[in-house]
Amino acid sequence: MDIFQILLPGITLIPVIGVVILLIWRGAKKVQAAEVGIASEGLAFIIALVLLWALRKNGEVVFTLSWIPNMAISFRLTLNWLSITFLLTELLVTLAAMIYSLGEKTGEKMSNFYYALLLLFSLGMSGTTLAEDAFVFYIFWELMLLASVLLILIWGHGKNRDKVALKYFIITHLGSLMVLVCLITLYVNVGSANISTWVVKAQSLSPNMQAFLILFFIIGFSVKMAIFPLHIWLPDAHTVAPMPVTIILAAAMLSMGTYGILRFPYALFSLESIMPFAIWMMIAGLISEVYGSLMALAENDIKRIIAYSSVSQMGYILFGLGTLTLRGMQGSIMHVVYHAIVKALLFMVVGIIIKLTNERNIKNIGGLAGKYKVLCVCAAIGALGISGMPPLGIFNSEWMIFAGGFDSGISVVLTVLTLIGSLLTVVYALRFFGMVFLGNIKTKTLSEKAPRALLIPTVAVSAFLIFEGLVPGPLLSWAMKGLAIIFGGDL
Amino acid sequence: MRGLFIIMLPGAILAGGAFLVYLLARLLRLSNKVEAIITVIILVSTLLTLVFIYIDFPSLVDNPDAIFGMREAGGIVYQVNALGIFILMVGVIIGIMVTLYSGEYLSKDPRFLLYYPLILLTLSGLFGIFMSNNLFNIFLLTEFVTVTASALIAFRFYQEIAIKAGFKYLIMSSIGTMMMLLGIYFVFRSTGSMHLFETLSAPDTYSRVGAAAFLLGFSLKAGVVPLHTWVPDVYGHAPSAISGLLAGVVSKSMLFLMPVICLRLGMSRIELGAYLMVFACLNMLVGAIRMLRQPLLRRFLSFSSIGQTGYLMFGLGIGLYYGLDQAIAAALFLFLIIAVMKSLAFLSAGIYEFYYGTQNVDHLSGIGLIMKIPGIATSIALAGLAGIPLLAGFTGKWLIFSAAFAAGDIFANICLVIFLISSVISLGGYLPAIVKQYLPTEDSLFSGSLDRNKTRQSKWMLIPIISLSILVVIIGLFPAPWLNLVAYIVEWIRI
Repeated sequence: MDIFQILLPGITLIPVIGVVILLIWRGAKKVQAAEVGIASEGLAFIIALVLLWALRKNGEVVFTLSWIPNMAISFRLTLNWLSITFLLTELLVTLAAMIYSLGEKTGEKMSNFYYALLLLFSLGMSGTTLAEDAFVFYIFWELMLLASVLLILIWGHGKNRDKVALKYFIITHLGSLMVLVCLITLYVNVGSANISTWVVKAQSLSPNMQAFLILFFIIGFSVKMAIFPLHIWLPDAHTVAPMPVTIILAAAMLSMGTYGILRFPYALFSLESIMPFAIWMMIAGLISEVYGSLMALAENDIKRIIAYSSVSQMGYILFGLGTLTLRGMQGSIMHVVYHAIVKALLFMVVGIIIKLTNERNIKNIGGLAGKYKVLCVCAAIGALGISGMPPLGIFNSEWMIFAGGFDSGISVVLTVLTLIGSLLTVVYALRFFGMVFLGNIKTKTLSEKAPRALLIPTVAVSAFLIFEGLVPGPLLSWAMKGLAIIFGGDL
Repeated sequence: MRGLFIIMLPGAILAGGAFLVYLLARLLRLSNKVEAIITVIILVSTLLTLVFIYIDFPSLVDNPDAIFGMREAGGIVYQVNALGIFILMVGVIIGIMVTLYSGEYLSKDPRFLLYYPLILLTLSGLFGIFMSNNLFNIFLLTEFVTVTASALIAFRFYQEIAIKAGFKYLIMSSIGTMMMLLGIYFVFRSTGSMHLFETLSAPDTYSRVGAAAFLLGFSLKAGVVPLHTWVPDVYGHAPSAISGLLAGVVSKSMLFLMPVICLRLGMSRIELGAYLMVFACLNMLVGAIRMLRQPLLRRFLSFSSIGQTGYLMFGLGIGLYYGLDQAIAAALFLFLIIAVMKSLAFLSAGIYEFYYGTQNVDHLSGIGLIMKIPGIATSIALAGLAGIPLLAGFTGKWLIFSAAFAAGDIFANICLVIFLISSVISLGGYLPAIVKQYLPTEDSLFSGSLDRNKTRQSKWMLIPIISLSILVVIIGLFPAPWLNLVAYIVEWIRI
């Protein structure tokens, strides 16, 4: 066992240590709790970066610990080129959200629990990306859900937060159950929960069984991705959740669905057996894209506008996956990363706007550009970013996704429609920007300055977005290598 | 009477201990707590003898010499039964917790003298039922357990509702035991014997009718839908500790008697398996649906208990119908964890009731902020029952799931879908119950100042619930040794 194999479980262990410290340290002030949280999350991020270097050398890092031998279950983690993309995105988003929390009101009471839950939320996501054992995967998958439900429940806004949290839990749990059905079917058929042993056996299952598994996997993970019509939990959950949690939900957790689709149906079954579902994925993606944009256009609540834009953006990702072409899938993976950055940025901007104006109705806000220049620039970058303006990241990934669509030969019409549909994104993004920042100042009580604690992470994320957009090379090659793992290097 | 006395030792300790406790308490005017301690000592020594028998399985199980009693016609024979030993071990462990808990729980009761002897007698009756090989003896002991249990249920006889609950249990269970008597008649008519060994050889229509009668009797006692109507009233109004013991161990153990007895009377595995699976679906659905929006905490737990009976039946049914040992093992594992989680839930619900005199969920909302440890214990129990990963319930769910998949035909799959649906519906019951503990509503007793209402809880109550909570977490984190235990038991079961 070399040093990297020992480091790998550290990504899951260090947040656990952080959680334990936070649980013991009852009297911790918010800043102190934040320090513990940020330190452990940062350490996990550094380990992931170190492992990135190991990955360049070995291509894969595996850690195994015997756990329940009589059920053929072990604690098995694997880091490869596919998981690293999702892992780094998720860790970075959580880190940004934790820093952003410092400038927010959220978590001032019971701050040790607040940061402990944020750590657990992130732990659930890192575990999900790393787990190589179905049992472990599901445990982390549910941990992610549970932690986020508790965060919404305890620190959420509004009186009906318990109803929203329950709705969120039950609907996403239904999706999780569909995934669980598939996992156990494969587990029973293979006789082991070790996912890396599944590939051979999965392709020798009967075609009907394969179709059933692919369908259930895709629907189950689509619930997490909030694809129309499975998105109904998203707008409420995103609106009610405190802003840092919303950032993690929208920017990191949604993409776990994408990871699941790549990790299970795509990696386990041949492309031919997925083919019958491809067109439906593309259609679902298109509908989601258009529906999300239209709803974002119709909404007046600024938080809900951005929330609906997630539905729309996830539509692109599913569309890209549905093309079943290298370009399309590469585009989807890149879109996950870019969307994470843009969405984090937009929600950060919205958080600051709400903080400044105490107002969420877009009709009552206006003319902020004159007073808050930096904020305005960040918002502009976000709005342009999400509408796919070059050189900001999303332009690259959308290019790839559409190229995949034309490449696939499944349906040119659908691709053209998606391309046209993307114009709606521009419309709602500009409406958002225009109504908030241009025109006359409508709110009476305006704070003098944007709080610096909120502004610094926002500016950092904007800069990162520009950087990522200008230098898409590494990401492109990661996505490429990740896909090579799924398809056995024959692409 | 002759034979190996060690076989009878656990039963003898329990029954003798019951008289001992009663006499000591009566003569020496012992306080409630001392009586509880003596009872715990008796239970621990029972547990030790059970462990000795467990270690000695290779020389005791299936050994014609290792019996106690008379083998002549009409004689009563006790023989070591792996299933029985396992169930008794679980029962005694829960019994220890319940007894410790009662050391404080009964402190407001004027009459505690008979309480502990009754617990011991109930467990000794359970022991006899599982070890005996004589149908009439089984009938008598079942009736015996019914009587002791209803005395415990109606223990607070000065409350009208407790009397009602005890009476309801007595009547319903007596109907069950009458069915068993009817069964004995048919079996005796067919075989001329009440011995389970001999009846095994020649099943005919009469003995099959007898088996069906037994099946109905056990179904009633286990609370199988539609014979479940007594469950919510009884568990809702009995002393909470007793509800924990009954719901966790006594009534669920009746399910395992079905294969032991009915298969020997000529019912086929397929028939019994199909019966169990079909009614399991009903149980799961009724339990999950009725669980929603129950205002009273223990009534809510009772309905969830009906659902769990369904899970157990499902596992057992798959095991019998498809001849899958893994499903039987899953059912035994479920029995263990449900016993632990259910008694934990009832015990911690009892703490709320003990200190605040109400079990209304809305009135108790926010209680988790005041009573930290019971709040956490209740949350662990409910989350475990809901099957949240890393707690014991999830492993059980996974096992049942994989057993049903291993069966793999359409019947099992339909039941599995119902299992899934009901587990989702039941989440709608468990989650609000957990959450309400931490979110005071307007009706809450604690909506005003939280600090004013702080009460110190007795250690007698905290120790059992803390140990049970730790058990739930440990079984969830490290299921391997427990699965080995269950697999070993299944190896020795002959049904």
